[in-house]
Amino acid sequence: MKVRLFFATDVHGSEVCWRKFINSAKHYDADVLILGGDMTGKAVVPIVDLGSGRYRYSMQDQRHEFQSAEELAGHKRLIRDHGYYPVVMTEDGVRECSQDESKLEAVFERARLDTIAEWIAWADEKLADTKIQCIVCPGNDDKHDIDAILATSSRIMVGEGNVIDMPDKYQLVSSGWTNLTPWDTPCEEDEDSLRTRIEAVVAQATAPPERLVFGLHAPPYDTALDVAPKIDWETLTVQGQDQAHVGSTAVRAVIEEVQPLLSLHGHIHESRAAVRLGRTLAINPGSSYVEGVLSGVLVELEGKDKVKRYRLTSG
Amino acid sequence: MATPTSPPVDQQLFVRKASGLIKGWSSIDGFRYSFFSVNLFLGIYGSYYASTVPGGSLFWAIVVTTVIVVTGVLVYAGLIAAMPRAGGDYVWQTRIFNSPIGFVLAACGWWFILWQWIPIYASLTVGSFIKPIFRIIGFNGGADWLSSKNGIFISSLCVIAVASLLVAIGMKAYAKFQVWAVIIGLVGFVAALIILAVTSKHGFQNAFNRESLKLYGTKDAYNGVVKAGGTGQPSGVFSGSIWPTLQLVPFMCFWLLWPNWGATLYGEVRGAKDFRKNVYAMGGGLLSAAFLGLIFILLIAKTMGYHFFMASQASQGVYASEYLSPVAMVTWIVNSPAIQVLLLVMLSLIVFGWWGTVFLSSTRVIFAAAFDRILPEKAAAVTSGGVPWVALLLMAIPSAVVSALYAYTTWFARLTYDATLVIAVTFLGSGLAFMIMPWRTKGIWASSALPKKKILGIPWMSVIAGIYSAFLIFNLVLWLKDAVYGVNDWKSLVFMGCLYAGALLIWVIAAITRRRQGMPLEAVAKEIPVE
Repeated sequence: MKVRLFFATDVHGSEVCWRKFINSAKHYDADVLILGGDMTGKAVVPIVDLGSGRYRYSMQDQRHEFQSAEELAGHKRLIRDHGYYPVVMTEDGVRECSQDESKLEAVFERARLDTIAEWIAWADEKLADTKIQCIVCPGNDDKHDIDAILATSSRIMVGEGNVIDMPDKYQLVSSGWTNLTPWDTPCEEDEDSLRTRIEAVVAQATAPPERLVFGLHAPPYDTALDVAPKIDWETLTVQGQDQAHVGSTAVRAVIEEVQPLLSLHGHIHESRAAVRLGRTLAINPGSSYVEGVLSGVLVELEGKDKVKRYRLTSG
Repeated sequence: MATPTSPPVDQQLFVRKASGLIKGWSSIDGFRYSFFSVNLFLGIYGSYYASTVPGGSLFWAIVVTTVIVVTGVLVYAGLIAAMPRAGGDYVWQTRIFNSPIGFVLAACGWWFILWQWIPIYASLTVGSFIKPIFRIIGFNGGADWLSSKNGIFISSLCVIAVASLLVAIGMKAYAKFQVWAVIIGLVGFVAALIILAVTSKHGFQNAFNRESLKLYGTKDAYNGVVKAGGTGQPSGVFSGSIWPTLQLVPFMCFWLLWPNWGATLYGEVRGAKDFRKNVYAMGGGLLSAAFLGLIFILLIAKTMGYHFFMASQASQGVYASEYLSPVAMVTWIVNSPAIQVLLLVMLSLIVFGWWGTVFLSSTRVIFAAAFDRILPEKAAAVTSGGVPWVALLLMAIPSAVVSALYAYTTWFARLTYDATLVIAVTFLGSGLAFMIMPWRTKGIWASSALPKKKILGIPWMSVIAGIYSAFLIFNLVLWLKDAVYGVNDWKSLVFMGCLYAGALLIWVIAAITRRRQGMPLEAVAKEIPVE
């Protein structure tokens, strides 16, 4: 039996990428869909309600003004497709958010959770009456509170910390946690803790290594999958043309020790690559969510010791 | 955690702590890369072309080309802003057109034809700097050997070795070298300009005759060069008719067409400010190189005499049997071998700072094609230290073969004239792709940070892309129509035809293989339905 698996990651709030992900099973004729983490967006775009049905907002250094409910819906969609959360508020509301961190936090939380709930509802509808297995795993940028919303889905399985059975006795071992980053994100920890966490999930697996698939958000250290511009941790600025390996030593160690058939990663958007670590094929399809393009990888599992057929895609 | 930012009235975003929110490649980094790519000495090296169209004005040809290439800067800054991905032209064209067009144009422009650039890099470096230095220090045996077939071949192998090494060790150390190379090189260049500015024509004639006698044993060399150049040389740097001046434009592309050479190295772009930043970086590299080149040529005309300068370029190989390096002639004004060598070493850094770029884009295109499975997975293989060894071999081995043909045959060297043309065709593909992007890939266009203003209902970015494409088509027509460019003979056309046919053959084999495997290539870049 041949299992066709499509993996994408790091959609970061982009609604167009989420929709493409859900539709990708049909597009690529995939049996299993896996989203590798970082579902939630990074920013809220305040749309100022100017009264009398008029609105204004700025995005990408461009100012937009319009005055109809229809246009409002269109602009909201544009903002969502870009990975941001559109929130309509008054000028006073914008001012309050800029001055009061707790109010801004509340706006963010509501936008984030409401969006996930809407995405889940849309996905349930699209995947109804299909045999497609859809697995979603949060990443280091996603707070744990989205797990509960994901769990309400009738069609989506939550990957975080779980071993999930896939067709033909393959199993997925997944975790969205990463090694430390300069951004102090919700799901990151030091390498020792990360290794302990991953090993605990691997220990739950019953399939042999040649039937195991890892879905670990952090890429293995010192590979083509983890190269990023070197940045100053204080100022968060790029250090010239310097590049650095920023993946996880824990992830690499576990891959080399367990030697799963396939290891799927994300986290480093610009490091789209595939490498072999012993028997294991490790892939980071990268992310192009900013452009509204879903970067992914299509893999065929054919019951062999090694993955022979895969293709990095841009949809 | 959310963090409040600037005042509310024009509040654009409230951002939270999330990975990847970083500032991109600085303008100065982009400028430096672009400045090296539009290499001053490639321009000076290529200035002899002006002697082949005597009725044209070199000055105005540089000005016209520079102004129009600015549209190319806008096109590439736009493509980077809309689709900032490694692989550059390959990615843009496969996504906007389709897989075969993107692969064939990118493979020919960023892979196959760069093999031809190796002997050009070697010839420029050896002719402009190494041989003059050897002559000055009295190492005539070395200089003569560099002119031999073995010397030409070995110098090309040196370029291959250094370019491969730089890709292998990564750009980090090389980037630091580039910083110093541009500073020291520019200091040397300004010194050369000052020397030219304060020297009279009579003073130069004396210095030239003195050094020619000392280095080559040639008496009354100044008049000898003028005589060897013949009577049909251009009379003035400004003077020229319109059409002959436009005929010089394709020659000027040899150095001015490349401000976007590092387009694939720019970081993730998030706003119009970043689009403008990339315009400033690439445009700055183009304009500053063109400006310095113009100043150099004007001062050359003042001090050496433009007629003499053109004659010195036209009579290459006649006088003293070797290329008369313009920068070497400038250093000869100073009657001190030590200062002459020092100045040449400083100036050469502008070329050595450029060497490392020749394989970089190629490896990225090879990787991108391997990830799309047009090339086998092995093409993207890296060592445990991250060295893309297969991609490097795919560059280095054919480059060595091409260098050998260049050195040991009489017919192959002429095919290096195709080097600019084939890349221009690739750029034309990206120009046209950007022109139709608002209609062809509406989603990417809409979500990009590019200015969306329109002229007569057409986005002005598309209009600019149209101008850039028309400019490239103009050059292509001239290249293919006029024998003066050396590319419209049957050997050249067969050679280029083989490159494109070879690339297409690779794509067809990959398409058949992948289709049999149940993963058709066309699906790779096809947009997934949204609704």
